[in-house]
Amino acid sequence: MLEYLLAFLIVAGGVFTFIGSLGLARLRDFYTRLHGPTKATTLGVGCILIASAAYFSRLQGEPSLHEVLVTLFLFITAPVSAHLLAKAALHLELPSLTPRPGERDAPQE
Amino acid sequence: MLLLILTVFVGAPLAAWVARFGRIQSAWAAGLVTIVAVLQLITLMPAVFEGETLIHQWDWMPRAGLNLSFRLDGLGLLFALLILGIGLLVILYARYYLAARDCMGRFYAYLLLFMGAMLGIVLSENIIQLLVFWELTSLTSFLLISYWQERADARQGARMALAVTGAGGLAMLGGFVLLGHIVGSYELSVILQSGDVIRAHPLYLPTLVLILLGAFTKSAQFPFHFWLPNAMSAPTPVSAYLHSATMVKAGVFLLARLFPALSGTPEWSALVGGAGLATLLVGAVFALFKHDLKGLLAYSTISHLGLITLLFGIGTPLAAVAGVFHIINHAIFKASLFMAAGIIDHETGSRDMRRINGLWKYMPHTAMLAMVAAAAMAGVPLLNGFLSKEMFFAEAVSASTHLRLGWLLPATVTVAGVFAVAYSFRFIHDVFFNGEPVDLPKSPHEPPRWMKVPVEMLVALCLLVGILPALTVEPLLTLASSGMLNQPVPDFDLALWHGFNIALAMSVVALVGGGLLYVARQPLFELHDRFEHRLQAKPLFDRTIGGVLGAAGAITRALDTGSLQRLVALFVAFAAVLGISGFVASDSPLTGPRDLLPVDGISLLAAGGLAAAALATVIMHRQRLVSLILIGVVGLVVSLVFVKFSAPDLALTQLSVEVVTIVLLLLALYFLPRRQQPDSHPGHRARDVVLSVVAGGGVAALAWAVLTRPYDTIADFFLANSVPGGGGTNVVNVILVDFRGYDTLGEITVLALAALGIFAMLEGLHLKGPTRDDEGRPWSPDMHPPVMASLTRLLLPLALLVSAFIFLRGHNQPGGGFIAGLVTAVALIMQYLANGVAWTQSRLPANMHPVLAMGLLVATLTGLASWLFGHPFLTSTYTYLYWPLVGKFEVASAMVFDLGVYLVVVGATLLILIHLGLMHSASHQAPADTGDYR
Repeated sequence: MLEYLLAFLIVAGGVFTFIGSLGLARLRDFYTRLHGPTKATTLGVGCILIASAAYFSRLQGEPSLHEVLVTLFLFITAPVSAHLLAKAALHLELPSLTPRPGERDAPQE
Repeated sequence: MLLLILTVFVGAPLAAWVARFGRIQSAWAAGLVTIVAVLQLITLMPAVFEGETLIHQWDWMPRAGLNLSFRLDGLGLLFALLILGIGLLVILYARYYLAARDCMGRFYAYLLLFMGAMLGIVLSENIIQLLVFWELTSLTSFLLISYWQERADARQGARMALAVTGAGGLAMLGGFVLLGHIVGSYELSVILQSGDVIRAHPLYLPTLVLILLGAFTKSAQFPFHFWLPNAMSAPTPVSAYLHSATMVKAGVFLLARLFPALSGTPEWSALVGGAGLATLLVGAVFALFKHDLKGLLAYSTISHLGLITLLFGIGTPLAAVAGVFHIINHAIFKASLFMAAGIIDHETGSRDMRRINGLWKYMPHTAMLAMVAAAAMAGVPLLNGFLSKEMFFAEAVSASTHLRLGWLLPATVTVAGVFAVAYSFRFIHDVFFNGEPVDLPKSPHEPPRWMKVPVEMLVALCLLVGILPALTVEPLLTLASSGMLNQPVPDFDLALWHGFNIALAMSVVALVGGGLLYVARQPLFELHDRFEHRLQAKPLFDRTIGGVLGAAGAITRALDTGSLQRLVALFVAFAAVLGISGFVASDSPLTGPRDLLPVDGISLLAAGGLAAAALATVIMHRQRLVSLILIGVVGLVVSLVFVKFSAPDLALTQLSVEVVTIVLLLLALYFLPRRQQPDSHPGHRARDVVLSVVAGGGVAALAWAVLTRPYDTIADFFLANSVPGGGGTNVVNVILVDFRGYDTLGEITVLALAALGIFAMLEGLHLKGPTRDDEGRPWSPDMHPPVMASLTRLLLPLALLVSAFIFLRGHNQPGGGFIAGLVTAVALIMQYLANGVAWTQSRLPANMHPVLAMGLLVATLTGLASWLFGHPFLTSTYTYLYWPLVGKFEVASAMVFDLGVYLVVVGATLLILIHLGLMHSASHQAPADTGDYR
């Protein structure tokens, strides 16, 4: 039973990661491309981490805590990098599919 | 004996320190140190007088023949007594000589250092150790001669002395190494016993020439004599010390010391005797024409050194005894003469003998002392100089009987004697009589009472030795000669009167001829004035040194044009040449016999990615940020490769190093100029392509050749011994901190030094950072976005936790101090980047030097601690502890060592990155932030 669950989680993680990468390659402007690696990858890597934690917990007979730490790191760093990338894009006034939000973040030249 | 030398060396900083309580105290301290040293020497003396040779030895590197060993025999004792005795008098004299503005503490510290180095020379048993002290005398005499640092002539004279004696020391090192090679030992007691082996060896001549170069430069033998007169810009107490009893005597001491080992061959007689004779004559002639009081004494010193060298060159035991005797006599009368000259200089303000005349009226006491000493120098009977000169003349005559054209030797020697008498007359007559003083800066008068005491004591010695030689000097001379000769001392007679013989006739001729020469000096002076400018050695020396410097500069400029590309190209080209020559020289096939492993897809993919990323870095190198990312890709692929080949430690290290490197490069990229570089010259590009293809292909071929051959590594040993020997299952870590701990200690020292070097380069460097990016947009005003800043603070404890985890498990599982250090450094740098330098510095000390020092200290102390338990340096131990909750775990002393590694890595990384970051904030317009790190 567990094996099926693990297999599902790994496959799901792989699929999410692949979709994220695909989005990074295919989407048309910077802002939408940003969704790919941040959201989808977070979900994908999360799935794989849960699978890993479950597998090694069972293998070693005690809870495996490494993955918790990795998850923590991931959940702290991924939003920060996404936030910074978006901020930089707005500052650089990269072209967008929709109008950019106001002049608030874009400084005057 | 070690204690004796240590006393003097420790006394040097003491004297400097005491000087803050007053000038006189410094002199007292120096004097007391010397007296303590003399007392120590006296306790050793009875054994030496009973004919023993005291040897104290401590092993240092016995297999290389390097030991700390001291030797006290008659010769060493004589010199040690001269060094300490005259040193004591000079200390007393200098206290009155130095002016109020001269720093007493510095003077006495230098003097004691020099004294210690001299003692080291005369008491050394190991010749390499002797050479170390020899070079120390060169260095300390440099400090002493340039004591008046503000004077250009003092600095130049000191530099010249250092260059000449230092070059000689280098030659001597070569000679000593050859000598050790011939004999098989660097210990004097062995060398002195194997004179026959040395003389019969084919390398005898080079050895002799190299050692003599050292001795001749030190003892100012012609043609290396020119540094000595130029060293006269030193304070007179220094001249009195260096040029009577110590520095210049080191050379003749060496001749005496190695006399049994090297002498007795035609080469020895020709080289040593020839140099001595030339020096004797040249010095005596030049001395007469010097108008400078100290210049006259300097050339006379050269001449007397030549005399001593000539005696050793004659090569008979009796001549060598006469040489030692003259060493004693010359030290005594020359020290007193220099001191008298110093008094005259001090009280009249001039040393020019054309101006200081008729001083008899003003300072009769000093005049009397100086006249006695000068008479001793001339070889007047009843004074010590007469005795040794008489022996010298006798030896010259007896040596001449074996030679063709033998009469030349006594004749030349007599001519030199004539000049010696003439310049002694000049010293007496010009200074103390000959009319009235001309235009002196000060009105002359007697010096303070105690300034004359050292001179009085020395002059009294001149008289005592001269009148009662058998009672005063004979026991010491016999002792010193036996120590020197290493065989029974020949009979010699130190009587005043030997009957009418040739030596006495030569003495009479010298005295009378010298007087006549002085009377008829005027035409000679005119002749000298006409040719003087052609006889100067200093311009020649300056030209030589200038030429050497110019040549060195030309070579440097030709190779290093300031272009990094060029240097890298040269470096790679040389490596390629060496590598190719290695390939060509070997005739074995490139591919070895080992079977190739099957290629799997993932490895192929990784290799392909690696190659593509590397290639892309080259192609995209004009877009700096992109190529930086590509370099990151290369690094990540490499660490994945490590993972695949089961090297998790390397993978972790590679990963953390990669992160730090990228941050460092990002910080550095900010300062690169924005303008586009013009494209390289096509020729350069072709050169670069060829070079990189050759170098890369060469490395690939090498890897191929190595990997296709079966080979035994020492890895099996480490794998087998890691747990029993080092108590850790992580073999990499056990190798680093235990098996090869000494290497690691060296490496972290290098790392710490590199960090300090980078710190020194960044210190005070002001670079202007760009205010806008490539397309003219200003930097974002939001330097530290709150989201990033606050979340990064959350990350810090987590990252430190990881780092501690990696550190603690390092001995048994992948990890260790190096990786943990890098992780900590990255975690802390994150804070600087996200929160700004000002915020972080108010919470963390920015000064990383103590961390570096602490790390090195911890690592070294761990190594030293094993000494306490009687084990060699860096022996590690381990034990198992039981901790209730955690279970059984292992504690190794190597972990403390690893802690040192950790601290050094953290300190070095942060030191570099923080200071780069500080430059950012300095270059940036906003005053307190790390700058934009894009």
